[in-house]
Amino acid sequence: MKSYTQIPPGTQILIGRAARRRRVLERAICSVFEGWSYEEIIPPIFDYYDVFAKGWGQEEQIYRFIDREGNILALRPEFTSLVAKTVATRLASSPKPIRLFYSGEVLRFEKAKGGRQREFAQIGIEHYGGAGKSADVEILLVAVETFQRLGIQSFQINLGSVDFFGGIIDRMELPKEQVGALKEVLNIKDQSGLESLLQQLKLDEQRERIMRAVPHLTGGRQVIAEARSLVKNARSVEALDHLEEIYSIFERLDLAQHLTIDLGEIRGFDYYTGILFRAYVRGLGFEVASGGRYDGLPAAFGEDTPAVGFSFSLDRLEQLVMPALDSTEALPPAVEVDSDFAKAIRLRQSGKAVKLCL
Amino acid sequence: MLVIALCKGRFLEPSLDLLQRTGIRFLDDVASSRKLIFDSADSADNLYRVVLVKPADVPTYVEYGAADIGIAGRDVLLETRADVLQPLDLNFGHCKLAVAGPKGTSSVNGSGQPTIRIATKYPNITLDFYNSRGIPVEIIPLSGSIELAPLIGLADRIVDLVETGRTLRENGLEILEVIAESSARLLINRAGYQTKRDEVRRLIQALEKVVAGGVS
Repeated sequence: MKSYTQIPPGTQILIGRAARRRRVLERAICSVFEGWSYEEIIPPIFDYYDVFAKGWGQEEQIYRFIDREGNILALRPEFTSLVAKTVATRLASSPKPIRLFYSGEVLRFEKAKGGRQREFAQIGIEHYGGAGKSADVEILLVAVETFQRLGIQSFQINLGSVDFFGGIIDRMELPKEQVGALKEVLNIKDQSGLESLLQQLKLDEQRERIMRAVPHLTGGRQVIAEARSLVKNARSVEALDHLEEIYSIFERLDLAQHLTIDLGEIRGFDYYTGILFRAYVRGLGFEVASGGRYDGLPAAFGEDTPAVGFSFSLDRLEQLVMPALDSTEALPPAVEVDSDFAKAIRLRQSGKAVKLCL
Repeated sequence: MLVIALCKGRFLEPSLDLLQRTGIRFLDDVASSRKLIFDSADSADNLYRVVLVKPADVPTYVEYGAADIGIAGRDVLLETRADVLQPLDLNFGHCKLAVAGPKGTSSVNGSGQPTIRIATKYPNITLDFYNSRGIPVEIIPLSGSIELAPLIGLADRIVDLVETGRTLRENGLEILEVIAESSARLLINRAGYQTKRDEVRRLIQALEKVVAGGVS
């Protein structure tokens, strides 16, 4: 039996200034979301295990438990599956688009990393019912304003699409294990690993050329042109058209300096179906936000509607120096009052902060 | 500025050699000094800082972004499972990660016991290797002189890095099966690859040229 005072790995306690920073940050971000007409949703902290196992995947990271009736339940490892389930059921007859935001703790059985524990805070938005580029652009703009509102200038949003690589790999008709091995070496941009894999796979010259190029397809508009010279299949080409349209809109809005096209990024949860992005800030070794499109997810809960969204990691954002957090250094100055409780009440009624000195 | 984590020990000299051949000059003699942090002699916008750490810690420094770039053996990367980019094989420090044991034995049998006892510095790699074959093993974690373990009955087999095989031979052991080939790799933090893209790319390309040019 462990001692009562021990702290289980992966949990943390925020006190005083740390808790104030968390709340100030949370409020600032929520006000951005509300400014784009997103309504808050507060889903339950646990649900049936299947909701997350079918939606999110990553089964080995889910904290699960059994209730008294023998049902398998799980503590939420993320919000997206919960929100998708709600949209597909309770909100099935609501007019689209549906815009929702959430903020709260999630739990994953994983190594604590980059200031993120096993229990960590996520804040994000979900947009349902918008299939085209408009919804994609909308959520990217909300992410951009979130950074700006927090006074973070040096942020970088890396935008890719699962359809670009998906379109290439579809046509190769490789066995599943080989696709897995290919993704593994591309995911870490391992050139020598790729070369030895290509020797085994015996692809044609054109496909080898594509595979060698994929890890380097990161940058501005020219990346899209480069990618166009490599692929002909409809799915990849459509993905490139789509990314180019988004990029052009960002150029017109004078925001393209924050956007990087990244076709070499092939990581992501199984549920992603279109665009996929991760946001980085100079000085932090881990991404601070990620998101994308997951049109298939609501369908898993019975309502076929397109969906796109993102989430920020509050624990990671808190590590950045932010002007927006300056006001959280200390509590506002308080009037000190002896045991005169009536005076304390009067001061409180007049809006003053009081501190009883008993 | 880019921060580069290098291993103390046998990787240090070839790592420094590679960096110097890309044109980086250091203010101090990195190999002989007792300092842990070294700055390059370049101009401020083209500055490199080298930090010296234990080989097994290089992937951690890079994964967390304390260093943007690192040089470490593939064995260490496989063992730590660090989530970092690994674009280049630097083509030195070639070794084999292998199961070894007394001559004429096999990697998949112990000494008659149902569970093979394996002494190693690489518990994760060892478990992955045997788990993928469904063979139960007992890991005996050691941090040095691994070859001793089967000689005095502490373990049936070892999993270790083998360079020339001389230590194995002199102790009556031999490679029973190779798990993976290892060599020095360039590691890059995922976020740094994006937020310091131009600086990072420049260094990768310079190193790529040096490596392709043949390392003596």
